[in-house]
Amino acid sequence: MIFNDFNPLEDKIFRIIDNDGEVINNEWMPTITDETVIKAYKSMLFARTADEMSVSYQRQGRMFTYPPCVGHEAIHIAAGLIIREDDWLVPAFRELGVMLAKGVRMKEIFMYYMGFEQGSNFQEANHVLPICIPIGSQYLHATGIGYSVKYQKKDEVVFPFIGDGGTSEGDFSEALNFAGVWKVPVIFTIQNNQYAISVPVQDQTKSVNLAVKSIAAGLPGVKVDGNDFFAMYAAYQEAAEYARAGNGAVLIEALTYRKGAHTTSDDPTKYRTKVEELEWAKTDPLLRLKKYMDRKGIWNENETELIEQYKQEIDAEFTEAENYTPYQLEDVFKYMYVEMPDVLKKQKADYEQFQNWKESRK
Amino acid sequence: MKYIFNFPDIGEGLEEGTILEWYVAKGQTVKAGQPLVNMETDKVVTDIPSPKTGIIVEIYGNVGDTVHVGKPLVEIETEEALATQNTSVVTEQSKPKPITEGASVMGTMEIADSKAFLPSSEEGAEKQDSKEMKITKALATPLARAMAKEFKIDINKVTGTGPSGRVTKDDIQRFDSVRNNGAVPIKTETTESDFSTDLTTYEPLTQIRKTIARNMLNSKQSAAHMTLFEEVEISELISIRAKFKTQFAEKNVNLTYLPFIVKAIVLALKQHKQLNAQMDLENDRMIHKNRYNICIAVDTPEGLVVPVIKDADKLSIFQIAQKITELSEKARNRKLTLDDLKDGTFTITNFGSIGGIYATPVLNFPQAGIIGIGRIVKKPVVKNDQIVIGNVLPLSLSVDHRIVDGGDVSRFINRIRHYLSDPVLMMME
Amino acid sequence: MSVMTIVQAINNALDIKLEEDKNIVVYGEDCGLEGGVFRVTEGLQKKYGIERVFDSPLAESAIVGTGLGMALSGLRPIVELQFDGFTFPAFNQIISNVSRMHNRSRGKYKVPMVIRFPYGGGINALEHHSESPEALYAHIPGIKVVIPSTPHDAKGLLISAIESDDPVIFMEPKRIYRAIKQEVSEEKYSIPIGKAKVLTEGTDVTVVAFGAMIRECQKAITMAQDAGISVELIDLRTIYPLDKETIAESIKKTGRLVIVAEAPESFGVGGELMAIANEEAFLYLEAPPKRVMGFDTIAPMAKGEHFHLITPDRIFYEIERTVKF
Repeated sequence: MIFNDFNPLEDKIFRIIDNDGEVINNEWMPTITDETVIKAYKSMLFARTADEMSVSYQRQGRMFTYPPCVGHEAIHIAAGLIIREDDWLVPAFRELGVMLAKGVRMKEIFMYYMGFEQGSNFQEANHVLPICIPIGSQYLHATGIGYSVKYQKKDEVVFPFIGDGGTSEGDFSEALNFAGVWKVPVIFTIQNNQYAISVPVQDQTKSVNLAVKSIAAGLPGVKVDGNDFFAMYAAYQEAAEYARAGNGAVLIEALTYRKGAHTTSDDPTKYRTKVEELEWAKTDPLLRLKKYMDRKGIWNENETELIEQYKQEIDAEFTEAENYTPYQLEDVFKYMYVEMPDVLKKQKADYEQFQNWKESRK
Repeated sequence: MKYIFNFPDIGEGLEEGTILEWYVAKGQTVKAGQPLVNMETDKVVTDIPSPKTGIIVEIYGNVGDTVHVGKPLVEIETEEALATQNTSVVTEQSKPKPITEGASVMGTMEIADSKAFLPSSEEGAEKQDSKEMKITKALATPLARAMAKEFKIDINKVTGTGPSGRVTKDDIQRFDSVRNNGAVPIKTETTESDFSTDLTTYEPLTQIRKTIARNMLNSKQSAAHMTLFEEVEISELISIRAKFKTQFAEKNVNLTYLPFIVKAIVLALKQHKQLNAQMDLENDRMIHKNRYNICIAVDTPEGLVVPVIKDADKLSIFQIAQKITELSEKARNRKLTLDDLKDGTFTITNFGSIGGIYATPVLNFPQAGIIGIGRIVKKPVVKNDQIVIGNVLPLSLSVDHRIVDGGDVSRFINRIRHYLSDPVLMMME
Repeated sequence: MSVMTIVQAINNALDIKLEEDKNIVVYGEDCGLEGGVFRVTEGLQKKYGIERVFDSPLAESAIVGTGLGMALSGLRPIVELQFDGFTFPAFNQIISNVSRMHNRSRGKYKVPMVIRFPYGGGINALEHHSESPEALYAHIPGIKVVIPSTPHDAKGLLISAIESDDPVIFMEPKRIYRAIKQEVSEEKYSIPIGKAKVLTEGTDVTVVAFGAMIRECQKAITMAQDAGISVELIDLRTIYPLDKETIAESIKKTGRLVIVAEAPESFGVGGELMAIANEEAFLYLEAPPKRVMGFDTIAPMAKGEHFHLITPDRIFYEIERTVKF
């Protein structure tokens, strides 16, 4: 078992391929077809393309602040391949690839970042919660869902995500602890991308790593090379089996690097160096998987053309989002309660009177 | 379609940028998202991607030039039809505004332009003296204010008799009648609780008493009171009255001398209009009343009330007598309405029916005149140089000397004597 | 004198106090090296060292709770919470302990700490970045709540807050963080907590507001002046304790009150001021007081924010209605 053999207390890291895409840990190589590997790479490529375009749209002034996911693709796509249609995704806000795998459309992502809450009402994705910005709070929700599906005897597993910064929040520890006590089917992922805005993980905790925090909650934990697709895939595969068998929750620390800024309004040059960025760039997930595929000679599609195709698809999604029905006054009130109480009806009516007055003055 | 791409607010604290390198040239085809230019800003060097697919028609600015946000960068010829501007134009309402240099990590922040400059403030650690403020407006409950509005009264002109000088509903009602005829609506408040000691007994003031006090004082302090005394020999009047008394009684009308006095006064007022006027100092004018609404002071157990005979000039003696009977009834039964009490123009106070010969009546402010009728005295008078027994009616006419001059007072009272001494004249003239 | 934005004025206040009092420490998420996500603490770590100006791990409850511990034992901490919507993990520490220590120990322990955070909407932000929670905090007995609207006031009020021996919540209107410039003295000065300020004198109606709304009110006042309405504008500056005297005196003068605030209307500052109008100036009221506040809804995201933000024409609309009552 990965979780047994890679003891986080010894600061072991679970890795299968190196930076050159060479398999260095063959015994742990998961069972996975070449087709799946290719599909994974293409999904990662799509996610990265979408991410880059999102940043570009923001720069063009067509979308507001966006948190880039570039660098996290292996984690996302690996999870995306394991997560089933009925499994639950409980995201923070940097899980684009997993959301896409669950059936969230880029149009919905774009709508959200343009400022339409409607973008969080995923039309085709089942069991995906909206993005959760209050750091760490979503982990508790995941534990609760875990209890619920266990109680209802459903064969569903919960996949919450958090960042390295989030592990300092009380909710993080509480969620793990409860999950341990209740023995719920939850696969907790920490995307340790080294930074919480400007704070490096070394200043976030003096713990040897983040995976060890599972021990305090009585859960198995493992530190994985998050930029290693195969390691992530294997880890999720094992974790899902473990959880579906009723053994309870696990914690996966996925080590990666936040290649982009915290958001499009953040300037990383203030707190980290180009040198560091270049070092980490060598571990890039797409790069490594590509090299693996080249080494095995299993993929021969034209990547450039593929990217072009993705760009068109993504741009079409963006156009759809831009042309979405304009926000109505009613939308401000409609979803506060299942049934609108009188006080809100009155506030809306008063505002409409104001609008009439405004119109009459023109 | 030609599309001009302006240097956008990209939310990185830009007001302007410097062109470092152009990636495209005129005539070149570009795709949406493709980097057009490399710009240097306050903190970062960044590529600006193209929002559209098309051909570069024009490039604005050379390497090294500074471009302000919102100014054109390139012009692109696209294949789109004209009506889809919305894809690139951010609506005004959600237009991201420039953020400041550096980051905010979330949102689009506004930075000050030259107009957003505030004057400096002197305020520091020194003590701020609180200014002593004089409030000259009326205190009143919202209810009282609503009433004042309804009566079209400026509440700030009403003297308040409530706690802390508050203007109450009663004050407003009273003001309303006072401003027209000084009438006091009947109050039925009787809060009598005596607190006695050996030497003194305390009785709380009723609303009526307080109002009367206020009105009396106000009248005395506002008008220049002057009183002229006269006598009228009314034997004629007495016989006429005797003649009709029974007739009137059959119609349930009590015929006193008062109706004749009212008639005489009204006729006199018509010829001496200053006595039916009111001085409006605030607006520098005299208000002449065109109606002749005579107030009759009535004594009731609750106090003095002064109902009004409206348009007395249009009424016959009978009708006046009828009105007086009616109003007295109402007064004693406390059924007088606000309308019965307002809009009076001249007052008669018939104290003689109770007692007293001459008096110096207090004006029913803001009326110009009030006539006091004393008790009829049988006494020797000179008629045709003979001493005979006469029936003398004493008149005490108080006027507001601001409005009425001495000569007019005399002429007015003469006219009244004229009519009362020979009542038939009231019918003839 | 120096031209400053609110961000710079606050930075200057912190600088002055850090220099003056060695027991002051400043911390929060990204406050040290980066100087805060809004750069409010920029340059301070470099000047005063990492022991005095530093980054904390990501945990608001811990930031405030540890701050309390420091305040009880000789330091004067100034802690930063990154955004209004993220102060709530710390709410427990504030309501359960920060606000109570002095009372609990009958005066033996004081809590000379300042909790700062940016608040308010109007920046096209995502959820949780546009909250206006002053009423939630003002309703806690034992703390003070201060909100400046100009660079000059921000500096003076913050210095007062820092020098106060009571715990003070210092809310900074992020929408105008850099939108206003003002000449501010570089010397130390303070503005008393608990004093509102009459910004414009008028006779027809009193408008009370604070923070970013002051600027919107000022625009509305220009509209009102064109309509012949004379408006008296009061900047609250301190939410708790409210300056009842200044407010009451003004209402007595004008007889009308309009309150402008971003937060949801129900159970907020508006209701509190209307209570004051009733308690202190009932007999002077010529129209019912009116609150111009947000809906009882979550602040909409960017595409819907314009419905919710209080604009000058909406303020003018209510001013006119109140005057015409």
